[in-house]
Amino acid sequence: MTVGNVFFAVASVVALLGAFMTIASQSPVRSAVGLLITIVGIAALFLMLNAQFLAAIQLIVYAGAVVVLFVFVIMLLGPDAGDGEGTVARARVARYGAGAFFALLAAAAAHLVTRAPDAVFTPFGAVDPEHGSVEAIGRLLFGSDVVPFELATALLIVAVVGAIAVARGKPHVRRQSKSASPTARMFHGPLMARDAQRPLPTKAEKAAKAAGGA
Amino acid sequence: MNFDILLAVSPILAVAIGGLLLMLAEAFGKPMVLTGPQAGLVSTDAGAGRSDELALGSAVILFAGALISVALWKVGPESLPGAAALAPYLIIDRFTLFFCFLLCLGGGLASLLAGGYLPEHNLDRGEFFPLLVFSTVGAMAVAASGDFLSFFVALETMSLGVYCMIGLRRGNLRASEASLKYFLLGSFAAALTLMGGALLYGATGHTDFVGIGQGIATIGKSTSAVNAPLVLVAVALVIAGLAFKISAVPFHMWTPDAYEGAPTPTTTYMSVAVKSAAFAVLLRILVIGFGDPRLASWGTGWPTIVAWLSVLSMIVANVIAGRQESVKRMLAYSSIAHAGYTLIGVVATMHSGQGTPSVLFYLLTYTVSTVGAFGALILCGRRGAEAVSYEDLAGLGKRHPAAALAFSLFLLSLAGVPPTAGFFGKLYVFSAAVDSQLNVLVVIGLLNSVIGAYYYLRVMVYMYMREPEPGAPLATPMRSGFVVAALIVAAVFVLVCGILPNTSLDVAAAAGLSHG
Repeated sequence: MTVGNVFFAVASVVALLGAFMTIASQSPVRSAVGLLITIVGIAALFLMLNAQFLAAIQLIVYAGAVVVLFVFVIMLLGPDAGDGEGTVARARVARYGAGAFFALLAAAAAHLVTRAPDAVFTPFGAVDPEHGSVEAIGRLLFGSDVVPFELATALLIVAVVGAIAVARGKPHVRRQSKSASPTARMFHGPLMARDAQRPLPTKAEKAAKAAGGA
Repeated sequence: MNFDILLAVSPILAVAIGGLLLMLAEAFGKPMVLTGPQAGLVSTDAGAGRSDELALGSAVILFAGALISVALWKVGPESLPGAAALAPYLIIDRFTLFFCFLLCLGGGLASLLAGGYLPEHNLDRGEFFPLLVFSTVGAMAVAASGDFLSFFVALETMSLGVYCMIGLRRGNLRASEASLKYFLLGSFAAALTLMGGALLYGATGHTDFVGIGQGIATIGKSTSAVNAPLVLVAVALVIAGLAFKISAVPFHMWTPDAYEGAPTPTTTYMSVAVKSAAFAVLLRILVIGFGDPRLASWGTGWPTIVAWLSVLSMIVANVIAGRQESVKRMLAYSSIAHAGYTLIGVVATMHSGQGTPSVLFYLLTYTVSTVGAFGALILCGRRGAEAVSYEDLAGLGKRHPAAALAFSLFLLSLAGVPPTAGFFGKLYVFSAAVDSQLNVLVVIGLLNSVIGAYYYLRVMVYMYMREPEPGAPLATPMRSGFVVAALIVAAVFVLVCGILPNTSLDVAAAAGLSHG
């Protein structure tokens, strides 16, 4: 057993334990901490693959920003926000049902793998030590992979505009109909003037009218 | 060389630049001075009250994108050899240009509808239009992508915009529910697709569709079935993720709620552009990535899965749609059923070269008919008197013959009645399926079209043959040049594709051929 294997075993066990803690714990704060442990474990796995940059980014973005965001939300909502009333039994059934379903899927996948002894897996060569360095990633982003990198700018714009659109409340001053200008009248308001009123009299009105006529 | 690249991506680029200009106009434009009782008050909200200009602007941008696609089609993407440098991330061929046109058309019509709908329903929000435009940029990039990397980034661009456009109606519980449901399930579906891509990379060492196809072809050459568990699981994951985006049963649970809760122009956009883009990439992945004869065969590959999705979508959606009381919800189920019909064409790509063109033509007819139907629904209602249920529309044919006539035309097209586009769309999908000996699918499709006619005609029965109950709430049509313009454009397409389908069919065939 080499040092690499031991490192791999430790990192994966840490990541798995963290994942289990995330879903099994009752308190949301504990779940967030579990997520943090998973992320650290995965960062360690990235290090093993010579992806130093990715490992650092994993820690900075996920552990540093995303988990902190989770903790903030938990803080704002209070630690007991998850306790629902009434639907707990249904939620439990759904949770165990989904768990059982995914276990079944995993078993099916494992069965597929073991049943195919002649299955061919693409052999990947050993990873170059410089493979995950900042320089190598930079060369990829501004070289051969520039198109998806540029596409990501559109994604970021949509994310920012969308966040503003959803977070901003209602406009303070309601818009009034522009009935003043004849051009505006073409574009707004009812199709026919008579629709501005209630189009059909109610039963009571009809009866009153009939009574009045008689 | 570089000029070729710029020219090749010009439809996408033009729309993206237009979106940026639109954002600047929205941010720095003059706040509107209100008239009427609040005269002299300046709205505190930069975007409020200027939906007219923004809607017109985004419609012009998107229609310009469509025109640029047409121009590029005339020039011919083959004459731009430099554009090959973009491959595999963006593949600019006639297939892509067809979808650029289709998506820009759908997006442009949706923004026209929004120009009428948003001010009427007090949703005057300037952010809507940049979101719509950038979503369309994402959708075009999805249709053009030939690699999982660019596909995923583009897919997220498209979806994020749509999530936010659904949630625009703040404070409305139904809209929040719709947005949250679509967001959570959509993220989950995107994750499934991504997992499929990762497994394919593990199995073949490639992320581009061509490389994946070649990698799969070399796996266990001698065996009759592809004997690689990773590939099989990946095929299932990718199809599941995309089936969510096209809302095929059993991945349709979100559709009725999201479609009903969203503002109607957003619903139109979702049912038209998002679905078309997802079909584009589905065709690309299935035909190029999973085109290996062993994977694209009935017993051992994806056609069986896709055929089941198609049959389930048609049957489940049509049965449930007939039981709806809300017209918008009925149209949501109808869009699920149409995804089922289109999937028949996707299955037909297995044997017949007609499969891809028939899907493209069907998407064109579906786009214009659906925009028309939702547009007519918008036209039929005003704030406080929306057209929601069948009862709201009772007697509309007498009160507002023009609005009812427009609605009827698009409903007939959705039902597939002869002089309209929908008829030829169905005809070509079914004939492509017959070419591929998928007779059972065709019979199921035909039976479902008959069931579908029931609920489309039911709307017309209410409009022309029912009298409203005295005192019942009635929908009263709105006056909007934007909505009318969108309806006219859609109606022209419906009639042209229905009476003279040759040109559009030739275009679809050429686009399908370039796809290979």
